[in-house]
Amino acid sequence: MADPLIHVDRLCKSYVGVHALADVSLDIRAGEVHALCGENGAGKSTLIKILSGVTRSDAGTVQLEGKPLPAGDVHATEDRGVIALHQESTVFPDLDAVDNLFVGCELRKWRGLLLNRAEMRRQTLALLERLGENIDPTRPVGELPMAQRQMVAMARALARRCRLLIMDEPTASLSARETQVLLQLVRQFRSQGVSVLYVSHRLEEVFQVADRVTVLRDGHHVDTRDIIDVDHAELIRMMVGREAAELVGRHHSKSAIGETVLQVRGLTRSDSFHDISFELRAGEVVGLAGLVGAGRSEVARALFGIDHYDSGTVTAAGQRLPVGDVAAAMKHGLALVPEDRQHEGLVLPMPVSSNLSLSVLSSLTRCGLVSRSRERELVQQQISALSIKTAGMEVAAETLSGGNQQKIVVGKWLASRPRVLILDEPTRGVDVAAKAQLHRLIRQLASEGMATLMISSELPEILSVSDRILVMREGQLAGELEGATATAEQVLALALPEEREVSVSS
Amino acid sequence: MSSLTDIAIRVLRQREVGLLLLIIVVTAIVSTVDPGFLAVGNLKDILVRSAPTAIVACGVMLVVVTGEIDISVGSLMALLAALMGLLISRHEWQLSMWVGIPAVLLCGTLIGLLTGTLVTLGKVPSIIVTLGLLTALRGATTLLMRGENIDGLPEGLQSLAKSGIGGLPLSVWTAMGVLMFTGVIITHTALGRRLFALGSSAYAAKMTGLSETRLKLFAFAYTGFLTALATVVDVPRLPKIESGIGNGFELLVVTCVVVGGVAISGGRGRLVGVMLAVVLLTMVRPVLTFLDVGEAGEKWTKAIQGLFILLAVITDTVVSRRPTGSARGPVPVKPSSHLESEGAPA
Repeated sequence: MADPLIHVDRLCKSYVGVHALADVSLDIRAGEVHALCGENGAGKSTLIKILSGVTRSDAGTVQLEGKPLPAGDVHATEDRGVIALHQESTVFPDLDAVDNLFVGCELRKWRGLLLNRAEMRRQTLALLERLGENIDPTRPVGELPMAQRQMVAMARALARRCRLLIMDEPTASLSARETQVLLQLVRQFRSQGVSVLYVSHRLEEVFQVADRVTVLRDGHHVDTRDIIDVDHAELIRMMVGREAAELVGRHHSKSAIGETVLQVRGLTRSDSFHDISFELRAGEVVGLAGLVGAGRSEVARALFGIDHYDSGTVTAAGQRLPVGDVAAAMKHGLALVPEDRQHEGLVLPMPVSSNLSLSVLSSLTRCGLVSRSRERELVQQQISALSIKTAGMEVAAETLSGGNQQKIVVGKWLASRPRVLILDEPTRGVDVAAKAQLHRLIRQLASEGMATLMISSELPEILSVSDRILVMREGQLAGELEGATATAEQVLALALPEEREVSVSS
Repeated sequence: MSSLTDIAIRVLRQREVGLLLLIIVVTAIVSTVDPGFLAVGNLKDILVRSAPTAIVACGVMLVVVTGEIDISVGSLMALLAALMGLLISRHEWQLSMWVGIPAVLLCGTLIGLLTGTLVTLGKVPSIIVTLGLLTALRGATTLLMRGENIDGLPEGLQSLAKSGIGGLPLSVWTAMGVLMFTGVIITHTALGRRLFALGSSAYAAKMTGLSETRLKLFAFAYTGFLTALATVVDVPRLPKIESGIGNGFELLVVTCVVVGGVAISGGRGRLVGVMLAVVLLTMVRPVLTFLDVGEAGEKWTKAIQGLFILLAVITDTVVSRRPTGSARGPVPVKPSSHLESEGAPA
């Protein structure tokens, strides 16, 4: 066997006494797609940060073709051809595509004094074309949809001579179709001899694209295998370290469906959705499926009062809700767990406790002062009910892993005892075990009589949790399916645009 | 929504267009009241008055672009003016201009570096650091001048500052040079792009390996240097150096930067906008004089300049709140081609 491209030897890293990585060794071969799997907190992000030069390891070395990579130096690491796409979008929202591609490694002229703008623009257009994206290179990237921002980040890696491309959850914000396009690109990279370290919670993608897979658990290297030697269940077993049979399959511990608690009639907003009508009944979970950009989040935001709508009505418990009034929606028992938890769901620097009690502060208040003891009681209750892993209730929310942050967002809204819960991508970027816990929680809440509207781009999630499935396509309701009998193909058929080539491979 | 409001919003989003329209309208109104407003002498006066503001705004703009702020330039100008007086006035140390002026420029740059160091390595918010310096530097000026004004700057420097070269004083030429230089930095150098990148997303900047420390040090040091430059070319116009020089100058500069459309959170802004704002805000006083509002003119200048800040912020908010804008959150994408989504059903 030829020498590996990357040789990782006994890496260790701890953060305030906690081992993030312990003696992790790993080889990445030239021209392979190497998947990296593990629950949140398994050490994947730490490993990526060390490989890409964002942080230094406490001990151990990384070698590229036998020569050590400079530690803690992003520039030098990128110059050697190791480029990372990080989980959180690392685009510069105010800069256009050209600047995003080249900032940090600008093409220059005049002895490096001035930028070679024309050449950078030419290369950007060529790269975006190669990615098959029709992106206006003069628009600030922040104004582009998520999928296109991701493409800009990919193009950034392409713009450099790339030996190893590290992709951390690259499909987290992409729809099924866009994901296939991205996986095709990954294969294209491989065929050009570029190695890819592919990190994803979506195991289907791992099986589709990877040659080998390495599993990390609690900072330790569990195993590295050829992908053909493992199956789905075994991979999950390696990740969670316990039997995870309960993670698969549909729930459907049919809860008693009660009266209608939310009625939406003819909801229309000219720029994003048209004539949306549906009902939510107590005790049912309704999945809202569709491609990214189909208008699902927009509907949720409008009926919760965050955004305005042009016509139609939203009726909760017999009362018509005013347009664009979140307070009124909350008063009538609605709660929304937003998609972008970093910006909309959590106050990251504030402690876990304050985040959990934020939505119910008035009920904890006596004589205008917040009762700390009642707050503590409520928070403790939520932490154990949702099994949130935290070092304490006074640590900042931003220090928690993604899955636990999401649980806090859910817990924050459950504290207000809503009758209608709207979840927008509740398990995005969350690991397998936390995902299963959240799914169980959603079913349990339904059995207690809560009506839930769950937006999700993951078909297995939609199929396993929903009683009914609504599918949106290009701003309209394309159809409704029975949760117990629906298949992935049926949902996808409704979600994909009509009269269009469904096949995605080029 | 009617297309007229759409157009209005699009125009207002281009801050430069709004500012230019405002300048034209105000000029038109004032010159109908008193055609003397358009006299060469008066226009030149506005140009001369705006020169130091323009010079320093180039620096402060870059500081704001990185997401920081500098409100100490007024006091820094006073300190540097006092220093310049001490070094080269014939009543003081009588050093050669060729030694004294580089010393002043160096001193300004060093104080800018100090500010930047406190912000980046000391991790003190820039608003606090420069608020402290605003008072401290003013105090140092008073000590340095021992309560007396300084006159007797070299004749050559004074005449360059007053009448200058080719009919325009030195400060106007300097401002033009600084403008072009800063413009080149912003649009044609990696440094400029990186300053904007840092202000746009500090996280992404870190992940890209940009040095936040070095970029911010540059912005503050450049501001310090430009403040020194403005002092050297503009202060000798005055009959004598007083300790009150540059009072309120820091706020005028920050106002110009904000009114000029630079996002206070960093990452966005254009030099043209800032320069138009400098002209507009410098016009306020002469306009009031020409409208012949008498005593009231003096009193209203500051109030009107302040109103511009509010106006700028309100336009920003109103304009960006419209649905056509780039509000945070999911932007609807039609999986269909661009042509089809243009004609979206109403």
